[in-house]
Amino acid sequence: MSPSVRRVVAPLVGIIGFGLMWEAAVGVFDIRRFVLLPPSKIVSELAEAPGFYWSNMVITGQHMAIGLSISMAVAIVVGALMASSRFIEEATQPVLILILVTPWVAYITSVVLWLDGGTPTIVFMVAFTSFPVFTFGVVGGMKSADPAARELLASVDARPWEVFWRLRLPASLPSIFTTLRFALGLGLAAAYFSEGSALTRDGLGAIGRTASASNQAETLWATIASAAVLGVVGLIVISLLERSLLEWHASQRS
Amino acid sequence: MIRVHAAGHNGAREQPEVIGAAQVRSHPVPPRIEARGVSKSFGSLDALAPLDLSVAEGETVTLLGPSGCGKTTLLRMIAGLEQPTSGDIVVNGMSPDEARRLKQIGFVPQSPALLPWRTVESNARLLLDINRRASPTTPSASVDDLLDEVGLGDFLDAYPHELSGGMQQRVGLVRAFAIDAPILLMDEPFAALDEMTRTDMRHLLGRLCEPLGTTVLFVTHSIPEATFLSDRVAVMSPRPGSITEDITIDLPRPRRPELEDTQQFFHTTTRLRAALSTGMRR
Repeated sequence: MSPSVRRVVAPLVGIIGFGLMWEAAVGVFDIRRFVLLPPSKIVSELAEAPGFYWSNMVITGQHMAIGLSISMAVAIVVGALMASSRFIEEATQPVLILILVTPWVAYITSVVLWLDGGTPTIVFMVAFTSFPVFTFGVVGGMKSADPAARELLASVDARPWEVFWRLRLPASLPSIFTTLRFALGLGLAAAYFSEGSALTRDGLGAIGRTASASNQAETLWATIASAAVLGVVGLIVISLLERSLLEWHASQRS
Repeated sequence: MIRVHAAGHNGAREQPEVIGAAQVRSHPVPPRIEARGVSKSFGSLDALAPLDLSVAEGETVTLLGPSGCGKTTLLRMIAGLEQPTSGDIVVNGMSPDEARRLKQIGFVPQSPALLPWRTVESNARLLLDINRRASPTTPSASVDDLLDEVGLGDFLDAYPHELSGGMQQRVGLVRAFAIDAPILLMDEPFAALDEMTRTDMRHLLGRLCEPLGTTVLFVTHSIPEATFLSDRVAVMSPRPGSITEDITIDLPRPRRPELEDTQQFFHTTTRLRAALSTGMRR
């Protein structure tokens, strides 16, 4: 089997095999449908109302993309400041750790009350939960910039923004992409859960929550599957971006 | 033939005047680089004892000494990248910080420090793109011509990872030359290269520097490198470093690779080795 064929066939075999085992396990162990719905039922539910799930998937995708973009933009600014000043780094680090370790599900009700629910709450939660991870990634990447190159720029009196733009930001891109993969999962979870808590009727999380409350296992599992598809699409987009922006990096060379 | 380097305006590049049959460089005043009573301590560690150093316009001076004797520290202070604990440094008639601001210094670090996301041409242009107000409006040579000169004309669009160590360091040299700085500070630029490439690189550097009359302060451990490139060699003692001997290298210019096979070259390297050993014992 040629490597290009193998790259397509192997994941398909893995996914189909996993689906068959899942289907068999539900039948053999007679698992309750709310605990685990067989894949065949999920597929038929999605096939019954593809437009409904698609439109809500788009909404959740937008929440996630906007939240992650805001988070990344703020993280680049904060990360650049942290990388350029030891004092700022040491002052900011404990705050980031505090945000990172505090369970966000515990204070989401306060955020709903503060922002009055809806899209602002969801976007805020996605951005807020992924912000520390992004910032640590950006700082790590920026600090990894070649010290000899930093010295070289200093030898011609490069301004801080020139050092940021010409050296630190490009040097941090590999680290930003690695963090983005992790933050995607975090952001998707935050978007799904926040949609279910933010007094909104749109988005996979809102539908999933309603389905849970009204004992609709098929709908709940269809939203879970849609969220998984959304995550995979997100990872593919990240990989394509990474391939085009980091062609110079060792990770992108065969 | 005699090459005379006329004193000129700050930052201007001058061609040497050819006036005779013998090949000697004259050293007009004022010096391009002057360090007076410069010392450096890191906490309780004395890295450099107070020393004086003067480099005339168009002169190539090498700092030669054992590891840890403060050669790089001295070079970094002259480049304005480190502050001396005591003493004064004047670079091209101004403070090192001012010289940096006006891009009077072409710095070549030990590693090529190429940015992996920029192509060869873009890397060679890097210092022109930074602090643009101080960049020459009409550089004496285009970056592409310089890259051609060092044999990289066919690699303009290549990325650093596609180049050998020697090729990467050649890009580093072009990057320093591209800004037309009157002073080049080189911190063991060929240290990481194999012996054959290293030899080629010093010949290339000699070929690039000689017609331009650039003032060069060069740091190395290599005696043949110091001999081939320098007008003078300042031999340094171990930490706290000081200049124990200032040796004039009276080999003819222009210097060609064949020079290294001559008796005169051999005698000079022997003399430097002896001076280095004496310095080590101090």
